[in-house]
Amino acid sequence: MFDYGAGNLHSLIKTLEHDGARVEIETDPSHAARTDALVLPGVGAFGHAASRMASGLADMRSALRDGLPCLGICLGMQLLFDGSDEGAGAGLGIFPGRVRRLEGGRVPQIGWNTIENGDDPLLDAAPLATAYYANSYVCRPDDDSCVHAWSTHGIARFPALVREGRTVGVQFHPEKSSAPGVELVRAFLREAAQ
Amino acid sequence: MLARRVVVCLDVQGARVVKGEQFVHLRDVGDPVELATRYEREGADEIVFLDISATADDRATLLDVARRTAERLFIPLTLGGGIRSADDVSLALRAGADKVSINSAAVSRPAVLEESAARFGSQCVVASIDAKRDGDSWRVYTRGGRTRTELDAVEWARECVAHGAGEILLTSIDRDGTRTGYDLELTRAVVAAVDVPVVASGGAGSASDVREVLDAGRADAALVAGILHDQATTVRAIKQLLASSGLPVRAVA
Repeated sequence: MFDYGAGNLHSLIKTLEHDGARVEIETDPSHAARTDALVLPGVGAFGHAASRMASGLADMRSALRDGLPCLGICLGMQLLFDGSDEGAGAGLGIFPGRVRRLEGGRVPQIGWNTIENGDDPLLDAAPLATAYYANSYVCRPDDDSCVHAWSTHGIARFPALVREGRTVGVQFHPEKSSAPGVELVRAFLREAAQ
Repeated sequence: MLARRVVVCLDVQGARVVKGEQFVHLRDVGDPVELATRYEREGADEIVFLDISATADDRATLLDVARRTAERLFIPLTLGGGIRSADDVSLALRAGADKVSINSAAVSRPAVLEESAARFGSQCVVASIDAKRDGDSWRVYTRGGRTRTELDAVEWARECVAHGAGEILLTSIDRDGTRTGYDLELTRAVVAAVDVPVVASGGAGSASDVREVLDAGRADAALVAGILHDQATTVRAIKQLLASSGLPVRAVA
């Protein structure tokens, strides 16, 4: 797990450890990329996180392109895109597109939202009908074909889950989405182990 | 579609959940980790730990309780009570809180909201407002309802959001503990004034009171405490009533 600063990682660590995975907390992005599976947690602001990632951006990007399984959560998902309106700095660019402010309902979006049009092996394994969100920004890919689930806030529809090969990004917090969310993280670990 | 939330509040002193009237005759009602996880199983959407500790030792204990809770709780946890600075927020988040609620400290120094939001994002900064009716408006009180301020509650809610709060936890002092229903008028006024989620608190006497504040009161979430601890109703019963009334809620298996 790449730790880029503030926030609560306890629940996520416990979720990952459920299945006997060993979790290493890494603050160095190049070291973080040398692992069996990478988790980008979802706390903080884009600019701050991007600056902490900058020194190892190229290493992390090439590891992901070489097939390192990765789960990006909330801000961690947003870091998989090119850049963000929230703050300066480069993302990993695994998904071409940009992170933009969520417009359409009360922002930040805080609470449980419905997962729509889910079409991904992780959602097949985890019966996640609603998931917990806490975000003001959402990912806007150049091409929606990477989007494998959606949610709607007010009038705005936005990507809930994106995938490119073994790299998965989720805008919600599975570690805060009760038992079905925990199940989704376990499904990611099982997939990564294959 | 975003669901309406049922948020369960536990008063914590040191390592125990307590219950009392106006902070006197405190009675031990259980272990925070056990109670929080039990409410998650019953379908609570979030848990709030309200720190009513009087001593620094108790506060340190609470952070340890938050850590142990976060390792077993897989829904969001908010810590409130005694948060005075962005450094306090940092300690709470690192201990295992997902959100932190700030009350009196924001009134004395609104910049604490800005500083916290800048470091950790608005989504984890909750402005907690205790409001009491005063003629045809509502006045903000601090220090657990003991100190009257000159602030208008609706105006203050707007200001908290401008300072970076991502959510408002709105408590009616008039209704708190009365079990006569939430203050719908106050809730509606604040919901209309801000564009962040509003959690209504104070006055729940039954499941239908919760429905009223989410429906007629237009709150995004309702805070529930005493009626659950007394087993007057359950989270499950509340959510069933909400669902059968056509309000969007998270279904729990």
